Amino acid sequence: MDVPVQLILNGIMLGSMYAIIAVGLTLIFGIVRVVNFAHGEFLMLGMYAVYLLSRYAGLHPYVSAVPVVILLFCVGALVQRFIIQKLLGADEHIQIFATVGLSTALVNLALLVFGADLYSVQAPAVRQSLPIGSFTVLVGHLVILGAAIALVAGLHVFMHTTPLGRAIRATAQNRTAALLMGVPVERIYVISFGLGAACVGLASALIMPLYPVTPTIGSYFVLTAFVVVVLGGMRSMYGAFFGAMIIGIVDSLSGYYIAPDLKEVVYFAIFILILIFKPTGLFGFGRGTE
Amino acid sequence: MTDTTRAALVASPIGFLFRLSEPRVYMTLAALSLLLIVPGVIDSPFIIHIFVTICVFGALSTAWNIVGGYAGQLSLGHTMFYGLGGYTTALLIQHYGLTPWLGMWVGAAVSVVVAVGIGYPCFRLRGPFFSLATIAFLEVIRLLAIHFHGFTGGSAGLIVPLKIGWPWMIFQEKFNYLIIAFGLLVLALAVAYGIRHSRLGYYLTAVREREDAASAAGVSNSRVKLQAVMISAALTSLVGSFHAMYLTFLEPASMFSLSTAIEVAMFALIGGLGTVAGPLLGTILVVPLAELARGWLGASANGLHGFVYGSVLILITLTLPGGLVGTFGPWIARLVDRLPGTPKRAEREAPALRRISGTPGEPVLEARDLVMRFGGLVATDNVSITLKRGEILGIIGPNGAGKTTVFNQISGFLKPTSGRVSLRDRSGAMVELSGPDAFARIGGVGRTFQIVQPFGKLSVIENIMIGAFMHHHGVEDARASALRVADVVGLLPLKDVEARNLPIGDLKRLEVARTLATEPDILLLDEVMAGQSQADTRKMVEIIRAIRDTGVTVVAIEHNMQAIMSLSDRIVVIDSGKVIAEGDPKAVVADRKVIEAYLGEDFVDAQGH
Repeated sequence: MDVPVQLILNGIMLGSMYAIIAVGLTLIFGIVRVVNFAHGEFLMLGMYAVYLLSRYAGLHPYVSAVPVVILLFCVGALVQRFIIQKLLGADEHIQIFATVGLSTALVNLALLVFGADLYSVQAPAVRQSLPIGSFTVLVGHLVILGAAIALVAGLHVFMHTTPLGRAIRATAQNRTAALLMGVPVERIYVISFGLGAACVGLASALIMPLYPVTPTIGSYFVLTAFVVVVLGGMRSMYGAFFGAMIIGIVDSLSGYYIAPDLKEVVYFAIFILILIFKPTGLFGFGRGTE
Repeated sequence: MTDTTRAALVASPIGFLFRLSEPRVYMTLAALSLLLIVPGVIDSPFIIHIFVTICVFGALSTAWNIVGGYAGQLSLGHTMFYGLGGYTTALLIQHYGLTPWLGMWVGAAVSVVVAVGIGYPCFRLRGPFFSLATIAFLEVIRLLAIHFHGFTGGSAGLIVPLKIGWPWMIFQEKFNYLIIAFGLLVLALAVAYGIRHSRLGYYLTAVREREDAASAAGVSNSRVKLQAVMISAALTSLVGSFHAMYLTFLEPASMFSLSTAIEVAMFALIGGLGTVAGPLLGTILVVPLAELARGWLGASANGLHGFVYGSVLILITLTLPGGLVGTFGPWIARLVDRLPGTPKRAEREAPALRRISGTPGEPVLEARDLVMRFGGLVATDNVSITLKRGEILGIIGPNGAGKTTVFNQISGFLKPTSGRVSLRDRSGAMVELSGPDAFARIGGVGRTFQIVQPFGKLSVIENIMIGAFMHHHGVEDARASALRVADVVGLLPLKDVEARNLPIGDLKRLEVARTLATEPDILLLDEVMAGQSQADTRKMVEIIRAIRDTGVTVVAIEHNMQAIMSLSDRIVVIDSGKVIAEGDPKAVVADRKVIEAYLGEDFVDAQGH
């Protein structure tokens, strides 16, 4: 009995990591309607930034979350302003190529600057095990779970109570109508892309104490985040949150019961099945075939 | 040689020999042969390596372009076919001693099977989701290749048994590799060229531009996409088999690599998506740069070529979305056409029209009790219509009455919630069909769309050809037949204009023309006169009369009362999903219920009916 419970607990911890990344991806897709293939590379950038801040300024990774979130917001906003914005009217495949190109360029830029070595930061307190009854979790993982819940709750409040949040929701629902109502749609897009990227900024600060960074770390997390987003119905951050938990648990269980090197096969299989048979996602929050 | 015998020879399989005197043909062949001549003259192992790489990636990119460019399905998992080819061939050598010359075909067969298995479910996905699904499949195959290491060698890799000589495709003389790579490139280019200039090529473009309009023209969307992916997978796999022999070492990370899959797609974008020469040109432009950078800077430049690739990709999307060929192609073609040689051929004469058989007045379409519910809304409520051969039936009714929903059901675009539609097929039997393309091909139903659906990037004549291909499989025949239709509807002077540049009146005529080119028995016209000028309306009325005179049965939804009353033999009035009146135009306009539906009860009372 103990093993499955511990595995599910591990899965939730893993899931909350995916949740933060997937919420960012969902924001960008739900509002700007662009699938950001470079999302993982934003994470990678954030992690290197956290590493540099820790190494040269001695900042604790959690403290560096503040500057890194701001940095990533700017990166996202700039990408939207100078690349995506110009391609909004273009064919869909051109948009895909643009973000795929960005992803390729960023991975290789990191390879060029940092090489293929692993870099990690020292934060022993974060890696401490915390007993919960007969089970254990890492302090760092618990912080991530808390942050994921806070992020979704915070975004919910922001989207539903502030004028900017309302403008963002209006833009997501109907771009043309929002434009006619005087919503500055292009600026909303810049902000939304920035917010989506800022989410991975937060994720990178929380993940850095637990995982070393390499140029290809992004694709490791983000392919999973794509699975999560599709599972959650593409447009809904609540869907993304619960989708992330499911994938985390699937990851943890299949790694134990099937084979560690086949767990990705399991959730990619889920991904493909969902895309094909239930493109609105598990919870019916959105539509993948639109 | 007379023009007709020459034309027949050109259309034959050895046709290109008779076209050698055309500037475009001899210039293309000359340019291609440089890929062999340059390394042959320079003869350094490094140069030969670069040219082999160009040929391999040029062929991969050309093969990718059949799916990614022609069909517009942006696969980012295409290296799965490359890897499957390589592994199948290598394993067959290792375990059975089978020569790669045969093994590569086994690999291609495996790839085609996988392509169908993946393509069939995935083709319903749109845009980025299709790309994501292909990435997921590639990852799954790569992980499986690692997992079953007993069979594939796993992450440690697999070394191709080093038996040297032509039967084993492994050489000490590197130039031999180039000969094979060049052969594969020419094969890929020939296939890509053949598809581009065949019915399949036009169909793929049509499906890429607008799936609905394509099915109305009788195209089975999923079938043509599957054909494209099968051909593309087979070619990719053949190249993969050869490349494995060239590299002599296979590992899952490099054989099923996502970044290679992206590079292959990228070369096609840089050169020009959907063009025949684009993928190769993109490869020639980028591969040597990257290889030279690697050669000069060595390991210190790890990542440099990828950074350059990615940046070039972004720049191309921002500045030249049409790629090199899309941007400079027409200009170069004009230059080449000035060279001496035989000019392009004259247009061929149109093939005979299909004769419409059957007795005038017999029922050709019977719709019985059509009920269509959208959630709680009943869009059509027990609508029954019988269509008689050779008549013009007008359907009128207020906005939102359900007229277009009726059209969608009798053209196969919507399956009624209950009720049935039967059609007279070409043998004279009444049949029930499913799917718009079957309605079009078997039932002979042609329809236009209320909101025009042109294939925007195709020229007027190419738009019409998409319809003409239904009965004329050859490109020349379809073109000739399309020209005849263009003449009938008065679009001949605009035949080479891209459809997206046409004003609405011409677009409406183009809708009619494309449908007419399918040589339908029944023509469904959905508000083809809406928003047209007086002059255009008169033209359209004449066109419709002329069409009916050839034996075609016409059903027209129309709001232009004057036009529809003068045109129709019979009128059906629909309101709130029900047929409220039916009969002779004069009787229908006097019907109290009809006036009520249009103008309201008060008006009828005021009139004192």
